[in-house]
Amino acid sequence: MHRRLWIQIAAAALLLGLAAVLINNLAVNLIRTGLGLSFGWLARPAGFALAETALPYSPSDSYAWALTIGWLNSLKVILSGLVLATLLGVAAGAARSSGNRLLRRLAAAYVALIRQVPLLLQLMFWYFVGFLGLPETPVGGLIGLSNQGIRLLGLDLSVEFCAVLTGLAVFTGASIAEIVRGGINSVPRGQWEAFRSLGLGEGLGMRRIVLPQALPAILPALTSQYLNLAKNSTLAIAVGFADLYAVSDTTITQTGRAIEGFLLLLLSFLLLNLLISSGMAVLNGLVLGRLKGSR
Amino acid sequence: MNRVIDRLLTLLMLALLGWVGFSGVHWLLFAADWTVVTANLPLYAVGGYPPDQRWRPLVWIALLILMTAITLMGPRRGWLRRGLPALWSLMVPLGVVLLAGGLGLQPVPTREWGGFSLTLLLTVCSALLSLPAGVLLALGRRSELPVLRVASTAYIEVMRAVPLIAVLFFGQLLIPLFLPPGLELNRVLRAVIAFALFAAAYIAEDVRGGLQAIPPTQTEAAAVLGLSPFQSLRLVVLPQALRIALPALTNQAVGLLQNTSLMAILGLVELLGISRSLLANPAFIGRYLEVYVWLAAVYWLACTAMALLARHLEIQLDPLRSS
Amino acid sequence: MTVAIRAIDLVKSYTPGQRALDGVGLEVISGEVLVVMGPSGSGKSTLIRTFNGLETLDSGQLDVLGMRLDASHDEREVRAIRQRVGMVFQQFNLFPHLSILDNITLAPIKVKKMSPSLAEQRAVDLLEQMGIAEQARKYPAQLSGGQQQRVAIARALALDPEVMLFDEPTSALDPERVKEVLDAMRQLAAGGMTMVVVTHELGFAREVADRVMFMDQGKVVETSDPETFFSNAKEERSRRFLRQMM
Repeated sequence: MHRRLWIQIAAAALLLGLAAVLINNLAVNLIRTGLGLSFGWLARPAGFALAETALPYSPSDSYAWALTIGWLNSLKVILSGLVLATLLGVAAGAARSSGNRLLRRLAAAYVALIRQVPLLLQLMFWYFVGFLGLPETPVGGLIGLSNQGIRLLGLDLSVEFCAVLTGLAVFTGASIAEIVRGGINSVPRGQWEAFRSLGLGEGLGMRRIVLPQALPAILPALTSQYLNLAKNSTLAIAVGFADLYAVSDTTITQTGRAIEGFLLLLLSFLLLNLLISSGMAVLNGLVLGRLKGSR
Repeated sequence: MNRVIDRLLTLLMLALLGWVGFSGVHWLLFAADWTVVTANLPLYAVGGYPPDQRWRPLVWIALLILMTAITLMGPRRGWLRRGLPALWSLMVPLGVVLLAGGLGLQPVPTREWGGFSLTLLLTVCSALLSLPAGVLLALGRRSELPVLRVASTAYIEVMRAVPLIAVLFFGQLLIPLFLPPGLELNRVLRAVIAFALFAAAYIAEDVRGGLQAIPPTQTEAAAVLGLSPFQSLRLVVLPQALRIALPALTNQAVGLLQNTSLMAILGLVELLGISRSLLANPAFIGRYLEVYVWLAAVYWLACTAMALLARHLEIQLDPLRSS
Repeated sequence: MTVAIRAIDLVKSYTPGQRALDGVGLEVISGEVLVVMGPSGSGKSTLIRTFNGLETLDSGQLDVLGMRLDASHDEREVRAIRQRVGMVFQQFNLFPHLSILDNITLAPIKVKKMSPSLAEQRAVDLLEQMGIAEQARKYPAQLSGGQQQRVAIARALALDPEVMLFDEPTSALDPERVKEVLDAMRQLAAGGMTMVVVTHELGFAREVADRVMFMDQGKVVETSDPETFFSNAKEERSRRFLRQMM
């Protein structure tokens, strides 16, 4: 019994010792470089422009406001990305079980190709080759496509936003497709036979019979993909989209406040993480509840 | 599905595929200007490495390709097959020595490393560091000692909530702040540490899944044989847990290879980074599509090779198959 | 007549109010085969699992091969006991990632610091004794249940124990496989091993046991020689149990 206690004390001492050394080094270095720890600088004017703002912003606004705008931009691209990726992923995942052999092969090729190429490369492809490669003057009626931006149903979407959105959706969609495929496979064969022998069509059967039963297997893995998408949205900096990370990056470069900036970013992503996880947990509960009730 | 609609859909897809395929092949062979690739092959391979020493990273890459080919084809000679694991583990220190220098080779500073050789080096070094760290974290998370459990859980949860680019960026900025004044780490080393710290958290969760899959009766059986808890962990539990976690772990490795591309944003000239600077060169301006197609092919080949090696490893470690 | 195991007033509860062991006392003589029977939940598994420290005691006194086990569970004491007391489980619990030979030689090499060649020799001898020498290089998944259980017995014997504990060794086996394991156990008993066996196999109890102990609801109901127990059990509960089993 006593040995256990000693091991605990030794382990705690080791960890605390390590922490102490690191914090000491940190303190020494902070003093040496003249940086303290403070958040007052957040009120100072940012001094840089942002290409994309959901709410009014000017360079004379505070860093805090700039970061908020970045947060909003992130939310914009993440939420739309989640929706698009889910639609794409569910379609591709369901296509893997389709009766049409060509469709199955296409869906499989999509997954195999997209997952073996880095997301950053794909983002840059969509930006430089895809959207910037569009003609100067808008084409299409309802959807105005040009390399200045997309006009969709009255909304003006920047090229940067579209590139990030497309890249994220296509990449995450491939992972979601695999998850959906796994979930569909977990539904017993008998269910398929049942709805087919009742004369129900493939599409109807998939939507009303199979997918709902595949949900409990799909949701947990889907949650981690959603969290991945949220994290991957930070790559937007590579194509010039002003998301939270990009704004933080500029802020830290200008103010030198690396530690505070890191803490703020950390908090923001923990919050985002919490939001998505709890949302999915609620969804999970609803789905399980409905399934139980219907039995 | 309705026969007619099905037929129409297939026809439509075939037509689309045909058009895409045809224009794709046409572009590849005739319309594309491949000089941006062909004229710069050494750069893609080894970045800004001193030209007279280029043979060193090139030899390393060639050896890796050779090892992959040999492993996947399954050597006949017994001695070769048994020596493979040892040869593979030699590849990492060999790579470091070849690139860095020392031991009779002219030292080359890390800021001159680049291209695919840097991509590979980042991948293997980070993978090597993160595996033991991840195992320790997983064990820590399952520990009965509250200090270890809380610390491990906190680390894992925080690392998994934060985007990789942030960890890499802050790694570059903050790692020096935690070191004693006077000790300086070059950017490549800071990147490796940052990658390892990040990957360790994900590996920890995969290993934890493997540990959870092992029934407590295994620990019991080991205990009644008189094995100490440490022995039981090392000889019975961990070998099984790692085998179970192997697919997830190899997925992480492939992800690591892809994620090295993020260093391009932070100024390292690995494969993606060197391509970006090439595209900024007035001689190659606008050649985005050629470069990206080329890069996609290289990454795709590398990732697929890794995936194949992973399947091979899984089969080798399955006691039933290999006996 | 040395006493291998002496238990006095053992008490253990899993949930408050429910006693798995309710004042159990017994003595196991060296060289004897004690069969423990009883309905499920009677505490028989819990009892033999206290003999090698897999279960802790709430109170009571337990001496195994002269070493004291009580409520203060000293890890090192327990490990010392386990090197002299072998255990065979219902679910075999072989190590799936090791070959049969490695399963058996692991503990002797790592715990008793035996040389690998000696350990391997002993392992092969034990496998021959169990009648499965040709399986040495195979893996557990390739063996039948009966073969796996015999490997488990060999694995426990490899440490040269003075006492062997069996926790329902044949309950997880197909009926055709039960005989081969019981035969191995019979052989062991004939060789003079001290054995405590929890089982439902009445035939084995009748033919091999020196004494039969009947437990119910955490208490020892009766202990007698097999003759008496099976034909003329003293307690009504024992007789009722036997009627259900026959």
